Amino acid sequence: MKDFLKQNGILILIIALLLTLIGAVLSFTFGGVANPFANLAGVVTTPVRNGIHTVVEWAEGLYSDAFEREAMARELEELRQENARLKAEAREGEEASRENQRLRDLLDFQQKRTDLHTEPATVTARGSSNWSSTLTVSKGSASQVEAGDCVIDQYGNLVGIISEVGLNWSTLITVVDVDLELGGLIARTDGAAIIEGDFTLMGQGRLKLTYLPEGTRLLAGDEILTSGLRSGGEATYPSGILVGRVAEVRADEGGMSEYAVLTPATNLDKLEQVFIIKEFEVIE
Amino acid sequence: MTTKDFLIKWLAYTLALLPVWFLQDLLLSRYPLLGVKPMLLPLCAVAVATLEGSLGGAGFGLGVGLLFDAGAASVPGISVLLMTLLGLGAGLLAQYVLRQDLIGCFLCSVLALSALDLLRIWARLVARAAPLRPMLEVAGKEILWSLCFVPGIYLLFRWVFRRVPKATVL
Repeated sequence: MKDFLKQNGILILIIALLLTLIGAVLSFTFGGVANPFANLAGVVTTPVRNGIHTVVEWAEGLYSDAFEREAMARELEELRQENARLKAEAREGEEASRENQRLRDLLDFQQKRTDLHTEPATVTARGSSNWSSTLTVSKGSASQVEAGDCVIDQYGNLVGIISEVGLNWSTLITVVDVDLELGGLIARTDGAAIIEGDFTLMGQGRLKLTYLPEGTRLLAGDEILTSGLRSGGEATYPSGILVGRVAEVRADEGGMSEYAVLTPATNLDKLEQVFIIKEFEVIE
Repeated sequence: MTTKDFLIKWLAYTLALLPVWFLQDLLLSRYPLLGVKPMLLPLCAVAVATLEGSLGGAGFGLGVGLLFDAGAASVPGISVLLMTLLGLGAGLLAQYVLRQDLIGCFLCSVLALSALDLLRIWARLVARAAPLRPMLEVAGKEILWSLCFVPGIYLLFRWVFRRVPKATVL
């Protein structure tokens, strides 16, 4: 090697100087564009640098994952909780809005019927028997609710009659229950009749109007109100409460008399809140 | 079996009863199928009677009757008596006539539901509260819909039965 340098050292030095000189000239000549040597070096080294960069980035990612994952998970959990809270608030808002609307409707009804004193209650359960139609509501004797009290919805439509009272709950038979029987009044003609439940119609969510006044022609859609009288003639229920509308008129089995099939004015399937009439003034 | 075992066993049966009661009174009563709601609580009494025999069935029937009375607007006490008799009868049938398995439970359930509905129909006929035909229709649909739940209820109580002490000491 020593001999090689001794013999060719001058030659190598000259070649190096020449290359330097050529590089300088080319660099000056191409101005801003990489000279062929630099270009060649770049072409060869770029894939390697790219590979190294990728590895470094991957390592950096691992590092940040390891140290930031916990923070991100914490943040995600916080966002989830926030989301759940906002959803719950929205639900509460919707429920409050619905209750507000119900109370507004009732207020509207109460402004027309100042003779009624009501107690709001929530429907907490529906009867599980196919042989009766009952609802359980959230008010009882602690709120001065008594058996026989009328129950209406927010529009003032009859829902049913309280049949059993507990301390903080009551059961009511709905207008379609077979045990319901009360005096009815045909709004259009002022004729009196009897509103009663019927086993066959109960399954269809309807009831019937019997003992129709002689010569009365009922029309589909005729409104039937409470007369305020029970079958015994005593004033037990408030009068003028809308019970339902005539759907059709049928002849009874013997064909001797007619009865009307009524569709309840209240929607028994959708009831959430009801109002128990605790007191009322008898209107002569 | 100690008194503690005995109490744990019947507490386990009572806990198994709760989801069925929840299903009947709070869910299926709100969403009836074709207007018909199933009778599930009597099936619980029958299932336990099939597994435990007449004495256990009668005891459990008594508890089911109390729950039935609490949830339904019926004559107070009548469900307690009926469910106790159902438990007793189903237990005797399963022990001595049928088998103490799902088929035995199913047959006992058919008889129990039919007996209950026949009693209801008879009471309404006597009181002239409703004509026979629509009542038979309701009873038929009610029994068919209720029977769909027999396998589920039987398996639930069998699951409990296999995990509690067997011999009953009173």
